[in-house]
Amino acid sequence: MIVARILQGDPEAFGLIIRRYEAGLLRYATRMLGSSDAAADAVAEALVRAYRHLAACRDPERLKSWLYRIVGNRCRSHLARRSSSDVSLDDAPPLADPGDHEADTERADQLARVERALGTLSSEKREAFLLKHVEGLSYEEMAAATGERIPTLKMRVHRARAALLAILKEES
Amino acid sequence: MMRVDPLVHRVLDGELPPEVLTPAQRVELERLERAATLLAQVPARSVAHRVMAEVRRPVPSLGQRFARWFAERHTITITIRPAWSLAVAAVLAAIALFLGRGPAPVLGSEEGIAQFVGRFPGANSVEVVGSFTDWRPGAVVLRDDDHDGIWRAVVVLPVGQHEYMFVVDGERWVTDPLAGRYVDDGFGRQNALLIVRPVPR
Repeated sequence: MIVARILQGDPEAFGLIIRRYEAGLLRYATRMLGSSDAAADAVAEALVRAYRHLAACRDPERLKSWLYRIVGNRCRSHLARRSSSDVSLDDAPPLADPGDHEADTERADQLARVERALGTLSSEKREAFLLKHVEGLSYEEMAAATGERIPTLKMRVHRARAALLAILKEES
Repeated sequence: MMRVDPLVHRVLDGELPPEVLTPAQRVELERLERAATLLAQVPARSVAHRVMAEVRRPVPSLGQRFARWFAERHTITITIRPAWSLAVAAVLAAIALFLGRGPAPVLGSEEGIAQFVGRFPGANSVEVVGSFTDWRPGAVVLRDDDHDGIWRAVVVLPVGQHEYMFVVDGERWVTDPLAGRYVDDGFGRQNALLIVRPVPR
């Protein structure tokens, strides 16, 4: 419905799509790139691109996967430009609700540990783990978002789990 | 690499309930679920105003794009025979001399002068983007020659009302606190409003 409105010439309706998907896309890009600034650029570019090519999204039911696919492509371009899949920890994403209580500090430490572990994964495994477990996509949606086959994605998710678990066990 | 029991994978994939796992396997499951929960925090920022500014910008026609291409700087490489290179260089030099002697640009009746001033100590770059640049960066760059943190630019703009924002260090969009007039950008932030009047003659 919203897609139809936009295609009929109502650009303001695109704001509804942004509101609905922006947070998840930003989170995904931030975790992929390890930089909230680079993630904001990637998501902004991806959303403008999505708007300009919305007619190419033949199945509006798959809009979510399609948006993740465009953001994923921007992230891959960014990582390729950086010539490294290593995630920098210099610009860790800010917490949505930072606090000064002990529990918040503990939570921030845990997050930093997980981010460090995530940063050691290859970009393919990182992408697979994030799409499956953080963004909550099904394997079918992941296949649409990455262009990969489901068995390949399952294998990447399994390997990402094993690698993350090994690192987290070691750290604890 | 550590091996994760296939049962844990199947539970994580939603194929089996957690009850099938041993206590040790449950620890692995909870550790991975905890990691995912921590990573699920949403970054506290938004790109909505940037995207909508671009979305609202009308797509230029083919003619406009052609005109813009001519207005922008491009690197053009032309291959010519060495024998012709001296003659071409002479012609280009003559054209440059001729153009260099031309009159200074005259302010049109529908143009005015706008000054942008902002205090951004420690910034590496400051520019202005707005409706007059199609919200594209790179057209109006402010300078801080004396390094006192006050950035300035003076530009000629069409007479009328313009919306604008400062962009600091290439990514931080800042509403001009000294603008005095603002318009809602539709996403909880405000664009500064500038009214350019014709120069009295």
